Amino acid sequence: MVCIRRATVDDLLAMQACNLMCLPENYQMKYYLYHILSWPQLLYVAEDYNGRIVGYVLAKMEEESNECHGHITSLAVLRTHRKLGLATKLMTAAQAAMEQVYGAEYVSLHVRRSNRAAFNLYTETLGYQINDVEAKYYADGEDAYDMRKNLKGKQIHQHHSAGHAHHHHGGGCCSADAKPVETTTQAEATSSK
Amino acid sequence: MYKLAGEERFLLWAVCSIQLQVLCDKSGEKLLLLAEGLLKKHIASHSMHEPEALMVYISLLEQQSKYNDALQVLSGNLGSLLVIEVDKLRIQGRLLARARDYSAAVDVYKKILELSPDDWECFLQYLGCLFEDDSVWKLFDDTDQIHPIKNIECKFSHLTEEMFDSRISSASELVQKLQRDTENSNLRGPHLAAIEIEKRKFLYGKKNESELLKSLLQYFLKFGHLACYASDVEAFLQVLPPHKKAEFVGMLVKNADSVSESATVVLGQTTTILKVQELTGNIFELPLGEIEASTVKLAKLYCQNLPLSKDLDPQESMFGEELLSLISNMLVQLFWRTRDFCYLAEAIMVLEFGLSIRGHVWQYKILLLHIYSYIGALPLAFQRYKALDVKNILTETVSHHILRQMLESPMWVDLSNLLQDYLKFMDDHLKESADLTFLAYRHRNYSKVIEFVLFKQRLQQSNQYEAVRVEASLLQLKQSADSIEEEERVLENLKSGVQLVELSNEMGSRTLRFNEDMETRPWWTPCPEKNYLLGSFEDFSYCPKENVNKDREENVRRAIQRKSLVPRMIYLSIQCSATALKESLETNGSGGDIKTCVELKSLLEEYTKTLGSSLSDAVDMITEISQGARPSESLGSDLVDWLNFAVFWNAWSLSSQEHWHVLNLLFEKLILDRIKSMGSSDMSSCYSDVQVLVQIITEPLAWHGLVIQACTRSSLPSGKKKKKAQHSDHLPSSPMSQAIKDSIHSLCSTVQEVSNWLLNQINNPEDDQVEKFLSTLKRNEDAGGPGQVLGVLESFITSSEESEVGSRIFEALKTWSKEDSARKTVMAQQSVLREFLQICESKKKLLEKLKQQMSHV
Repeated sequence: MVCIRRATVDDLLAMQACNLMCLPENYQMKYYLYHILSWPQLLYVAEDYNGRIVGYVLAKMEEESNECHGHITSLAVLRTHRKLGLATKLMTAAQAAMEQVYGAEYVSLHVRRSNRAAFNLYTETLGYQINDVEAKYYADGEDAYDMRKNLKGKQIHQHHSAGHAHHHHGGGCCSADAKPVETTTQAEATSSK
Repeated sequence: MYKLAGEERFLLWAVCSIQLQVLCDKSGEKLLLLAEGLLKKHIASHSMHEPEALMVYISLLEQQSKYNDALQVLSGNLGSLLVIEVDKLRIQGRLLARARDYSAAVDVYKKILELSPDDWECFLQYLGCLFEDDSVWKLFDDTDQIHPIKNIECKFSHLTEEMFDSRISSASELVQKLQRDTENSNLRGPHLAAIEIEKRKFLYGKKNESELLKSLLQYFLKFGHLACYASDVEAFLQVLPPHKKAEFVGMLVKNADSVSESATVVLGQTTTILKVQELTGNIFELPLGEIEASTVKLAKLYCQNLPLSKDLDPQESMFGEELLSLISNMLVQLFWRTRDFCYLAEAIMVLEFGLSIRGHVWQYKILLLHIYSYIGALPLAFQRYKALDVKNILTETVSHHILRQMLESPMWVDLSNLLQDYLKFMDDHLKESADLTFLAYRHRNYSKVIEFVLFKQRLQQSNQYEAVRVEASLLQLKQSADSIEEEERVLENLKSGVQLVELSNEMGSRTLRFNEDMETRPWWTPCPEKNYLLGSFEDFSYCPKENVNKDREENVRRAIQRKSLVPRMIYLSIQCSATALKESLETNGSGGDIKTCVELKSLLEEYTKTLGSSLSDAVDMITEISQGARPSESLGSDLVDWLNFAVFWNAWSLSSQEHWHVLNLLFEKLILDRIKSMGSSDMSSCYSDVQVLVQIITEPLAWHGLVIQACTRSSLPSGKKKKKAQHSDHLPSSPMSQAIKDSIHSLCSTVQEVSNWLLNQINNPEDDQVEKFLSTLKRNEDAGGPGQVLGVLESFITSSEESEVGSRIFEALKTWSKEDSARKTVMAQQSVLREFLQICESKKKLLEKLKQQMSHV
């Protein structure tokens, strides 16, 4: 809904303003920049009529045990714009890009145990499943669900000439030194109300 | 490297660097041709393999306005590098529009809208192309504000009425089709598009106001219960004449009542109507009684609906959350119109009550921050600001809420932290940006390299960044002004103010960017420099928040220009003073001193220029004010800057006793005027006067104190300045030493007046003050007037039950106490007064010391 489009670097100003209005985030500015400069195809913003940024998704690629997979780092929608399906749209766009642009096999994310609205969104609307529980994952001691969804998507760049390795994995997906601090995930409870 | 390795990425580095050079310098466009040639050659021999490389190629062509070439590339083989269809169509549409192939662009945009019917940007571009109007691109090119401007210009003059009619009807058809296609999906876009069409007709001159209102009402009936309704329709409301806006509000009220189905819908619609009233300014036209009744009604509605939020997670928005902000906004308005402090106290209570139930609501915190700032409870304002958890880039976009108040306050420790945190973030970011640029290169995201470098430039050119750098220096100077030795050390670190003078000189030609997010500010202070509460309601003219930054630019530029001259002027004043006393006895001064004087004079000229005056006019101005021939109000809001001028002007011409006299009178007059106007009223109603006093004492008076310290030091019998004792023997006969003594005497008694006023306030027992604060909230049962909203909240607290509102809310209701809020407010005000008193006492001590030193000479 509304215009879901790729984020630009300038959008960072409004994206962080979203955080002021949603929940405080612990990300350093360079962590945002690290995402957008490394995997620009995975950052989407929801732009409302009037050009206002009302939500965003921040995601990245990770390589573990030979499986290249995507990870949703942060999802936020302004309180005034919840229950409109924006989170679903943002997530779908990011997942599609992971699959189509980077050939991700699955996508993972963390969510607070207490965040029922987000949990419902991930399980019921988006088809994620609990993979593990990470004890005391958050700074305040709360546990996180480690959730996953299989993408089983297309091959990377089918139309590319064979043998041309995809550049994005050349230096490793996550070779920069910025560290994730906390995944804050907020979503409208599309199904709970 | 490209030649050596033949890799595409090295070539793209080079191409990006060229693009950046052209973008930043706005020159060297021939280089683009070179870059294009390099890429063409590469494609011919190696083709192209990366989507990002293709994006760079297209943007390179676009930069040279070669839209058709870019279109060819996009539709050729290379176009298949872009895997997401809609992305490709968007680029195609943009290129066609820029190439002015409007009919082809219309077709592309139609295709996008069919794929994603809620894409508003695309719809506007579709209309732009349909009407062959390129103003829409300006909207999307304007990146200077966080939130783009809401009102798009529309050009129709090139269309005949017949052309307009046929095109608008084809747009209508498309919108109707989109509405049919998305009937069940609850998308807002196609419905908003219908309003946009009515708006365009209206702007064309079709006299279709009633259709426009009808379409807005339709949208209300469908989406009026949503929190986003008001911001959705804001741009449409702006084009309506005032009486139509009022008519629209009436329509909403009438129609909302007839469709009350569920509690949440009623709640949502009621909130929406209030927000529309705020947006249209309609709320300021209502009679007092009506506003008051409305606040009571809303408070009841809020309480009634609390049970709906019983089972919500603490991080979720509550039902009716916005009502408390709206109530508070109305209470502040009532205060403004009646000057009855009780309304303001009530607004504080309402918001604090809201925060105890939902601690995360940023609107409550921001509103409280501004109310507390207004009544001088600054530590609480700062606390609320910190609770917003402002960090990283938010320091750039959000700190405007508190920065100005802190700069004008005696809370130097907190202010220093605020400034340092901000500067650290900006400096760190600028330092890290080389690494980040490299990161983007390494991931071969070339278009992001360009975006990022431009973003870095945007932060570098931030007006706030410049201003804070100057303020941080000034703060150090203020903090050390009671000791000339310390001040000299600070000045030494500041390179005697030379760099800041350079900044001042460059300011005129520098690009200033405004990254602050002003939309979150409350209605009564749309930007840091404005506060309607300081003026009267009658003088108010409704002004939308839109152009706030445009108006600010000139003022901000001048203020930075002016303030960055101050450190150097302090330095030069000290230099002049160091020898003045001696020279008042010896006729021939050294050449170096003449140079200092000449420089100081030229800075004085620069300084007065930024005050909109010539040096001689400025001298006339202050002289006349000191003599009472002109009212001090003619100095306007730049009063402190004028006093600074007077201080430095005196330092430049120390031998004139008359100048000393003018300065003494000015200090006396401006300070005593304020004390008189404050009288015995309490802090809540006169904090703006206190703010001015704080500035006078900590800036011009402090600088003048330095001048006196420098003069006195030079006269000390065994000073570090190698003064010989014999000099001092002659001093008593010098008219200048008498002028210094008189000035010390005058300052002493003026500062004493300020201290007395402060002591009078501070000695008022805290309990009495709390009692006074609370007593304003007591109301007469039968009569209307303030206190009613609080009454509603309090009776709800006593009657609520845990089973009804849930344990979390119940707990919050029971722990909230208006006495606590009142006490905290009073204590915060007291702490500001004590900080200020401490500064005054320290100034007095310094002056006493100087008096003693002078008595020896």
